[in-house]
Amino acid sequence: MTARNVSFTLNGKPATLAVEPRQTLADAVRQHLGLTGTHLGCEHGVCGACTVLLDGDAIRGCLMLAVQAEGLSITTIEGASPPEGLSVIQDAMQRHHALQCGFCSPGMVLALESLFAHTPCPGEDDIREAISGNLCRCTGYQPIVAAALSVAEKNRANLGAAAPSA
Amino acid sequence: MIGQRVLRVEDKRFLRGEGRYVADIALPFMREAYVLRSPQPHARIVSFDASAALALEGVDAVYTAADLPASLTPIPCRIPTHGDMTPFLQYPLARDVVRFVGEPIAVIVASSRALAEDAAELVAIEFEPLPVVADAKAALDPATPKMYPPGNIATQWGFDLGKVDDAFAQADIVVEKSFSIQRHSAMPLETRGLIASYDKARSYLEVWGPTKVPHTNRAMLARMLGMRDGDIRFAEPDVGGSFGARGEFYPEDIFIPYFAIKLGKPIRWIEDRQEHFASINHSRECTFQVKASATKDGRITAFDVVLVADLGAYIRTHGDVVPSHAAASFPGPYAIRNYRVAATAALSNKTPSGTLRAPGMFEANFAREQIVDMLAEKLGMDRAEIRRRNLIKPDEMPWYVGTQSVNRPTLFDSGDFPGLFEESVSRFGWSTPLPKGEGPVRRGRGIVALVEPSGFGPFESARIEIDPAGFATIFTGASNQGQGHETMLPQVAAEVLGIAHDRFRVRHGDTAMIPYGGGSYASRTAVMGANAVHRAALAVKAKALAAAAQMLQAKEDELALDDGKVIVAANPSRFVTLAHIARVLTPGNAELVPAPKDFIKDDHDGLTGEVFLRAIPSGTAVFSVHMADIALDTGTGELKVERYCVSGDVGRAINPMIVEGQLVGGVVQGIGGALLEELAYDEDGNLQTGSFADYLLPSSHEVPRIEALVVEKAKSISNDLGVKGCGEIGISGVAAVLANAIAHALGTGARPTKLPLTTERLLDLVEPGS
Repeated sequence: MTARNVSFTLNGKPATLAVEPRQTLADAVRQHLGLTGTHLGCEHGVCGACTVLLDGDAIRGCLMLAVQAEGLSITTIEGASPPEGLSVIQDAMQRHHALQCGFCSPGMVLALESLFAHTPCPGEDDIREAISGNLCRCTGYQPIVAAALSVAEKNRANLGAAAPSA
Repeated sequence: MIGQRVLRVEDKRFLRGEGRYVADIALPFMREAYVLRSPQPHARIVSFDASAALALEGVDAVYTAADLPASLTPIPCRIPTHGDMTPFLQYPLARDVVRFVGEPIAVIVASSRALAEDAAELVAIEFEPLPVVADAKAALDPATPKMYPPGNIATQWGFDLGKVDDAFAQADIVVEKSFSIQRHSAMPLETRGLIASYDKARSYLEVWGPTKVPHTNRAMLARMLGMRDGDIRFAEPDVGGSFGARGEFYPEDIFIPYFAIKLGKPIRWIEDRQEHFASINHSRECTFQVKASATKDGRITAFDVVLVADLGAYIRTHGDVVPSHAAASFPGPYAIRNYRVAATAALSNKTPSGTLRAPGMFEANFAREQIVDMLAEKLGMDRAEIRRRNLIKPDEMPWYVGTQSVNRPTLFDSGDFPGLFEESVSRFGWSTPLPKGEGPVRRGRGIVALVEPSGFGPFESARIEIDPAGFATIFTGASNQGQGHETMLPQVAAEVLGIAHDRFRVRHGDTAMIPYGGGSYASRTAVMGANAVHRAALAVKAKALAAAAQMLQAKEDELALDDGKVIVAANPSRFVTLAHIARVLTPGNAELVPAPKDFIKDDHDGLTGEVFLRAIPSGTAVFSVHMADIALDTGTGELKVERYCVSGDVGRAINPMIVEGQLVGGVVQGIGGALLEELAYDEDGNLQTGSFADYLLPSSHEVPRIEALVVEKAKSISNDLGVKGCGEIGISGVAAVLANAIAHALGTGARPTKLPLTTERLLDLVEPGS
């Protein structure tokens, strides 16, 4: 199949890839760029392991074709992680033992990044809703929810009492 | 260190997306494989034509059974079974008959997976359909055509302990019920996959891929291909969960490496999810007919069980282990001496069956714990009270059930079942009234008691090396699929050696680094892996003290380990660091071992310790109590789990955070198995489940808040650390406790006897025949 060029912003930098039109965004970042933090658990849009951010919003990397990314801004887990160490959400997940095998974790982190970008102080229902499209087979979600609640708590304290809570 | 809630060192790479799973590995000149699988449940392959596929540019090969060595045997069963299973074994690629949807027929190797799939579309196969054995019921019907010359039953066995008939004749009450557990599977989030690469000139085959038992699988591959163990390296990358399903030696485990040898290029095979549904070992499908008796004061006097398991189309590496465990352990934590079971392992045209977390126990608990509730109901006795009256007492330990499974006695080495039971019941508030139901909502409460074996498996190994900079490496024979071994094992070594746990690195799952390893299954790593590390650390400590005594001119009993140093206890300013000792003990170092004058001699062998630890066959028993409150909407059939408490006496928790994680995560998997998950077949043997839209898993919405009560009451008496494995108690009782809570909510004597507990089935219980 003939390849087509697609240009988009990936993790803050311009990227141009020659991809088959049928190739998914998740396959493209994994195979062409070696960004293997985007995982494939089902390839039919249910498990959420392939979650990436499209202009800040969590989307399924397996349901979008790479060619559809033309001109858009994509962030993968590699781009969402600080150069060293852990982001606030990642750190909270470690502290709450919110992962075991780690296969769902990049998707979970990005789903929560997307949530916190819109709602700095989400409540438990918001959190459960935000990760309801991300399957985890190990933890039972409880510690993931606890981790996110701890971030919300911290945000609430930082924003002051006047901040609206969800 | 032991007992502390140490954060996991492996988390950082996983959270940053830097975990390296099998699909993340790529090798130069690597090709991708697609496995062409049978769309037919039972058929003869009349013709196979791959010429159009092979004509496609970029397609290297289309391999079939004819390309495998003619001498290749079927995949052997590696676990003792009840009787001879050889007639029912599977060849890695189908020869002339396929027996289940998903059976591998051919392997297409191409420059990309997508191209290999394109090529698969061009392969023309003509099938002649054969009669289908749809399920165990059909298998047991003598009128059903035979799938194999000996028939459709793999094996039958049983136990008859005590005086079951007398007990029933003398009983005050008898209850009877049948239960069925549906076919489902572990469903790890990462599918299976393998990469194989062969260096022909050096005769060295390397295979990367997740398995619980790398050494065992290497040995099987070597035996089947007539290769040497030392010519094969099996290496485990990061693994996206296992939960029982990664233990087999799967067909792909032989043909992907073999075709990589044949092709002369590395081959990567990454399963997709649809494939996974058809090719991963299925599990759990069985029925129990149970009869139980009791005296009026609630003493259970006998169980009589007929167990029929549907193992699918072939017997594979795990044989009949699942129904075997269920049959051997059915009496559970109760002191019952009259027990009879007649077990049948039937064959059908479905995916072969293997283990899933708490194999046989999840199933047996579902049946037994409901029968116990039925006895209580009939006696008008509180459901906790009847359990209390029948639990095995501490002074009855060790308790031998009188049965065996896979040549191991069903033996509980230790336990304070009543102690944990009372603590659990009081923590949950068993006797506190349930909130009233509103409108059509009815509330119910359930309780179950269970015992899980842990720490099976013949042996485990550990080696600890301290390098001249004072860093330590643990080489463990245990494999890791996400449980937290890279944190938990260093905690054990740190406790002995006085080095911070994060100065350790753990290497696992690689036969090139670790000569012998047992692997991870049967909740065994805390029991066998951690105890091996503990003894290896003691060996390092002994060596360090002996060397330090010479270096410090002190007696060994005056010395102590402290923060990476050996100190003179009475005068801590006199010390040597472990790094220094490691330098001195490096082979070739002249200190302590001067060069010989006239004859070669033994040298230092590093500041190292190596241990091979033999297990006791029956393992160590873990007692657990599950309790739950549910709300059932009798109008819609919607079930809400409002509260869930799981407890476990693990003897000693090496990292309580990890133990709680195992318990809570296990419960949620159990909720999936109890309410949602099913690998459904139609009556013609076609698998109906092809996506996560058909196969529902618990999401963040379905799960209640779960309380985990980790207790360290009854240390295991069969290992140094006193630990018991915690991996399976969380899942083991979930279906049972939810069923008991539902029956309690209904209050009509109706019981959910068929899993999964779908809304339709629950509505049917509310209003039979609706």
